[in-house]
Amino acid sequence: MDFSLPEEFVMLKKMVRKFTENEIMPLEMTVIEREAARGFEATPSMPPEEEKKILAKAKDLGLWGIDVPEEHGGQGLGMLAKMLVEEEMNRSICWIFLPPDSPNLDFLANACRPEQYEEYLFPYSRGEKTSALALTEANAGSDAAGIQLRADRKGDKWVLNGTKLWISFGPKADFFIVIAVTDKVKKQRGGFTAFLVDKGTPGFTILRNIPCIGDMLVYELLLEDVVLDDSKVLGEVGQAFVPLQNRLGVRRIEIGAKCCGAATRCMELMLTQARVRETFGSPIGNRQFIQGMIADSTTEIHACRLMVYHAASKYDSGEKDLRIEGAMTKVYGTEMLQRISDKAIQMHGALGLSKEMVLEYIFRMCRIWRIVEGPSEIHRWLIARQIIRSEKPYETIFGML
Amino acid sequence: MKILVLLKQTFDTEAKITIEGGKISRSGVSMIINPYDEFAVEEALKIKESLGGEVTVVSTGDDGVQDALRQALAMGADKAVLINPGTDDVDEFTAATVLAKAVSGMEYDLILAGWRAVDDGSAQVAGRVAEILGIPIAKLASKIDVEAGKATATCEIEGGTEVIELPLPAIITAQKGLNEPRYPSMKGIMQAKKKPMEKKGLGDIGLDAGAVAAKVKVLSVALPAARAAGKVFDGEPADTSAAVVKALREEAKVI
Repeated sequence: MDFSLPEEFVMLKKMVRKFTENEIMPLEMTVIEREAARGFEATPSMPPEEEKKILAKAKDLGLWGIDVPEEHGGQGLGMLAKMLVEEEMNRSICWIFLPPDSPNLDFLANACRPEQYEEYLFPYSRGEKTSALALTEANAGSDAAGIQLRADRKGDKWVLNGTKLWISFGPKADFFIVIAVTDKVKKQRGGFTAFLVDKGTPGFTILRNIPCIGDMLVYELLLEDVVLDDSKVLGEVGQAFVPLQNRLGVRRIEIGAKCCGAATRCMELMLTQARVRETFGSPIGNRQFIQGMIADSTTEIHACRLMVYHAASKYDSGEKDLRIEGAMTKVYGTEMLQRISDKAIQMHGALGLSKEMVLEYIFRMCRIWRIVEGPSEIHRWLIARQIIRSEKPYETIFGML
Repeated sequence: MKILVLLKQTFDTEAKITIEGGKISRSGVSMIINPYDEFAVEEALKIKESLGGEVTVVSTGDDGVQDALRQALAMGADKAVLINPGTDDVDEFTAATVLAKAVSGMEYDLILAGWRAVDDGSAQVAGRVAEILGIPIAKLASKIDVEAGKATATCEIEGGTEVIELPLPAIITAQKGLNEPRYPSMKGIMQAKKKPMEKKGLGDIGLDAGAVAAKVKVLSVALPAARAAGKVFDGEPADTSAAVVKALREEAKVI
């Protein structure tokens, strides 16, 4: 059992750390100001021209498509390398999506037919096109069985009608992967189909942005008699659910890595505060309440990091069913970050609550992460269900024995 | 154009320095390429990119120095050479003797180095190497132009700059502002481990412990005194201004 990272991964991690500190962190105050000033508007908190510059530099450094297989134009370094990059970049509050976004790429790579490669898979994996997944609706989130957006067969065409809610990317996306009901009896067992809907398709409208907490920019989509032919079907008709489940698994481990990065930042700030801030003639680091916060937070970050690295290296060794690991990492990572950012604010007092530090931003950010990509309750349910149902001895369920 | 870069591994500039047993403690301190040497590596890579050629990074120290050399390889250097002096008791004489001897057995048109290391800051090694090799040196360059057979360096001097032309081969040392060192790219990192890293002992370059024994003995090492608290002058501006001026003149003796 070797827990050490390969030398080149250590170098990668250090490089991304330096890149994040020099190129991204200087923009944090700007991001905080823009986020606070935008009110109900959907102004991106990161100035688009700055984002473009950072993405171009990141591309030159080879940070795009770290985990994307080489045959799709990526670096082919695997999930662990990707998690290290995510961890380091999330020490900054500035959200930078390094294209291509792996969960959707996973979906496209598994479901695209060869004739769709040129238009969707290749430009997406090269980072030239942005995509968004449109699954959630007003009455269907984690329980996707309730989706109602219909795709009816009319002649040799498909006609889509309905709405999608809480959809990320919105106007940034060049195309949407829209999950529609093609058979309302079969539902998720053969009745849901994925469609590729390009921005600007007649009948397709981004209705509005829905103002939310923190840096959560989400949109409502309307599809009114959107006519598509068979070339826009992604994967098999009725079979959207299988690649969808795989897609979500990848994202969950990634969120764990992001939480490790953000929690590390909180921890660094807590340590400075513990050493520097004095009350009643002594640094607060000498007080047991503070020591407890630091000891517990360090322990939790370490635990979460090991969970992320373990899940990622399992993925890299060919294990694809990481449902339990993904769920555990997502629940633990997001809740750990909530606890740690809360403690970090507590240690900083009024300063922690102010917009002169990054802590309140992180605090609101991780509140988002406890809900998106499946709320904690769903993941706990999934973990318990898998374990209770399994007939294997407990220790063997996720391969620790 | 064959370019050599003399490189030293130093403490991270943000590392907290502690003293244990009369020596600066290395435990728990992360190590980096001396920042001035990093400018030299970057400049070598830029010259190589415009004129073609090869960049070799050379250092002396124990196996731990490989990390710094590997970093330079990841930035784009082609080869690394590391000479282990076999002792921790190293001064500028030792380092310069080892480096000059190692370099004298290699082909080079230009040698670059940082003007000083951020740790001991003695700024001696490059000068000593030039002396031993019998080649010209320009120090504290903020701009370097290289053409066939000669180099022009714009160097910092007290209150201004000086433009120096040197016939090649020559040594030029880098000052801050010469360039902005690149990050090692992902591709560079992956290639770095496949690039040659030559490790040698003193015997391999024709030296022995006696020939490089340090000439300077460090008697003691001390941390700078903690900065004293500032002085606050309370009162009406007219009175306090007079008091501040008086203190600056009589106590601080700065005006």
